[in-house]
Amino acid sequence: MSGYVKRGFVVILGAVLLGVAAVASLAIGSKAIPVHEVFDVLLHPSASEASVIVWDMRLPRTLAGIEVGLALAIAGAMMQTLTRNPIAEPRILGISAGASTGVVVAIAMFGISTLAGWIWFGLLGAALAGLLVFGIAARSRDGAHPVNLALAGAAVDAGLGSLIYGLLSIDAATFDQFRFWVVGSLAGRTPQMALQVAPFIAVGLVLAVFVARGLDALALGDDMARGLGQSVARVRIIGGTAAVLLTGAAVALAGPIAFVGLAVPHAARALVGTGHRWVLPVSALFGVVMVLSADILGRVLFPPGEVPAGVITALVGAPVLLWTVLRSGK
Amino acid sequence: MTWRLLPIAAVLAAAIVASVSLGDVSVPPLEVLRSLFFGGTDYDVVVRELRLPRTILAAVAGAAFGLGGALIQAVTRNPLASPDVIGVTQGAGLAATIALTTGAFAVAPAALAGGLLAAAVVFGFGSRAGFTARRFVLAGVAVAFALRAGIEVVLTSAEVIDAQRAQIWLIGSLNGRGLEEATAIGIVLLAAAVPLAWAAWALRISSLDDDVARGLGVRPVARRYGLAALGALLAASATAQVGAVDFVALVAPQVAQRIAKTERPPLVMSALLGATLVVLADLAGRRLLAPTQLPAGVLTAAIGAPYLIYLLLRRRRA
Amino acid sequence: MKLDVTELVAGYDGRKVLNGLSVAIPPGKLTVIIGPNASGKSTLLRTMARLLKPRGGAVLLDGQPLHELPPRLVAQRLGVLPQAPLVPEGISVLDLVSRGRQPYQRWWRQWSADDETVVRQALSDADVADLADRPIEELSGGQRQRVWIAMALAQQTETLLLDEPTTFLDLAHQVDVLALMRRLQRGGRTIVAVLHDLNQAARFADHIIAMRDGEVVATGAPSNVVTADLVRQVFGLECVVVPCPVSGAPLVVPTGKE
Repeated sequence: MSGYVKRGFVVILGAVLLGVAAVASLAIGSKAIPVHEVFDVLLHPSASEASVIVWDMRLPRTLAGIEVGLALAIAGAMMQTLTRNPIAEPRILGISAGASTGVVVAIAMFGISTLAGWIWFGLLGAALAGLLVFGIAARSRDGAHPVNLALAGAAVDAGLGSLIYGLLSIDAATFDQFRFWVVGSLAGRTPQMALQVAPFIAVGLVLAVFVARGLDALALGDDMARGLGQSVARVRIIGGTAAVLLTGAAVALAGPIAFVGLAVPHAARALVGTGHRWVLPVSALFGVVMVLSADILGRVLFPPGEVPAGVITALVGAPVLLWTVLRSGK
Repeated sequence: MTWRLLPIAAVLAAAIVASVSLGDVSVPPLEVLRSLFFGGTDYDVVVRELRLPRTILAAVAGAAFGLGGALIQAVTRNPLASPDVIGVTQGAGLAATIALTTGAFAVAPAALAGGLLAAAVVFGFGSRAGFTARRFVLAGVAVAFALRAGIEVVLTSAEVIDAQRAQIWLIGSLNGRGLEEATAIGIVLLAAAVPLAWAAWALRISSLDDDVARGLGVRPVARRYGLAALGALLAASATAQVGAVDFVALVAPQVAQRIAKTERPPLVMSALLGATLVVLADLAGRRLLAPTQLPAGVLTAAIGAPYLIYLLLRRRRA
Repeated sequence: MKLDVTELVAGYDGRKVLNGLSVAIPPGKLTVIIGPNASGKSTLLRTMARLLKPRGGAVLLDGQPLHELPPRLVAQRLGVLPQAPLVPEGISVLDLVSRGRQPYQRWWRQWSADDETVVRQALSDADVADLADRPIEELSGGQRQRVWIAMALAQQTETLLLDEPTTFLDLAHQVDVLALMRRLQRGGRTIVAVLHDLNQAARFADHIIAMRDGEVVATGAPSNVVTADLVRQVFGLECVVVPCPVSGAPLVVPTGKE
């Protein structure tokens, strides 16, 4: 069947691009390291400068980029189906803002300064915001109207944003750290950080795989999903939990990197159709490619300074958002 | 309808007196009134020169936010559509952030221009295919997010001191501002008086279905443009002077609509409630954690966000 | 397979629409539920399709309460076409019809040659095989409805419940869909549909259930049920009933209110 060939090709292409991006992410930076040397030090770690840079700085950062990219892209794809809304995305639904608020509360009110502590607050914030948004979406039979959902998310995002900055405006030092964290950046992530969020992302991924076919049914409406033998409530709860876990973990690790969850799933659907068994893995691959590319671009644009990856994804994603809106507003 | 305005006007007056009376040096309310109307008391400096200008600014800005929000909500027939959410505030914010971090322009005119420009872009996208309310709102949300991304870009590339000043501006604060800013907003409000009288009349028909309105001989699309533009102008001019005081434009018209029990936000009452809200938010921001001053915008967000959540959960099927 | 409704109580939110309704669906027949707006016919169909939970009484599938059976097993025996299913953006006909195989798949067994054959058969039974690769958005209303029916066929159920399948279609497409339902019944399925048009019901149904105010007023063959008396009683409409010149089925011609 030609459909399988095409889809298989897309998956292979995604995997190849991911490999290229990962190697580039290890090689490119303020000190460029030739590709053969990258492989060399990966296989034979030494005390050389190149080895230290690759192992201590760029590898953790690349791992973080992989985690964040796949988590946000899959979360976005699932949210679009769960809310039946083409512009659903962790940032636009206000779920990233929920996670950010959780982290700021952890820093400002509880004095917590480690990722291991932040992640729980991030997850709690994401879960509360997620409950709110999915609750609104589930209130009408065919999902909340995109306009209201988008407005709800935008308002939650704006409102929580004000509260965050209200807390921060009192304290200049925290503010300086936070303004970089809040746009989303992979810089300075340690191997421990990448490891700490991994279990959360893994659980989110397992749930996503488990619920993929349920999402296919849900896309046809609640009635149809029931007709196909799915428990609508179960799909919503498992899917929502997965989306919240993925978003909360990604945000705690790298800040709310915007729009990865919007642009990537749309591209994935255009390439492999609407079935979630294809959309989710393809989104994951291209999500990683997008985040790593944004991070690499941020390193080379204005040396010696760095542009945070979240800024680049926002600049790419904003037009995609506009385009999606204008197309769906027909 | 008119009799319902009296209690709200009374609350506003009380809020103004309280705002002038409370502070590091408290002034008894009667002394406030004496100083305001007759002068010659010991408190004249505190009352007339320190606190009154800021309070007037709060009231005027709040009224402009309330009116602007009421107009935009009425046109879009969506209680959640406010200048905060559909890009006007963010446009002003981006322009102001650039102005503050580069020092290239004066902040207020830049913010006004930014807000109007953003509104024009939203209108441009929203107007293809007949300026339907739904499309307008979605385009607004998208533009708002795009602009917020822009603001973040500017903030991260700026010096920390500039970034923090911009951030405080973005939240909206009346600190150190007064009559000059109030006058700027007041001029816009005055200039808008005649169009507002027209708007009050035009809104009655705009709340009807488009086809019904056409049947009554009205051009609904052109009319929506006019009303939304007026709303954007009011909101942008207030934002330009005091920053993005969140949610006032969203909450005031909604509360007014509930009190007045009308099918769309009433204009005058929205203005009065907006004024009351900002005066009280500024007062609370000054006194709550004194001597630390919280920006008024943090307080309005703290009130507005829960109210918004309540609104969303209450509306079962929109 | 037998589908029976006993002492059924059902409704929405605080409102009871059906209050103790009992009715039997004859197996292997094409049954049509008729009645005026708000008579409870969609509520009855939706409860039989377990889209709505009963508050009392039961829907029995071969004597077992439907709502207590595992949903996936029910979905292998009872197919539903709701009134307004959603179309995911950009989905192709083949992709949509394939989703009808869901009840037979598990996450460890996703797609088999068997599924492939059934889907092809469903596409050709519903006469949409040549549309397989087209996106749904490009299809006409009548084509879309046939695609949805194809999806329900891919579910391979003995029974198919359709909620107003002809609404929003023009006359030619309505007849198309009705004829398709007829063909499926002849192929051995039990079909239950809610229809608005009395004459179409009389023409195509084997069995009619007439409802008013949440109660069954009459059941039976169209020639017995569709009478001037019944139409007056159920719809409050004066009419004469004549034999249809083509099929001989009862044809309702309104007389009053002019």
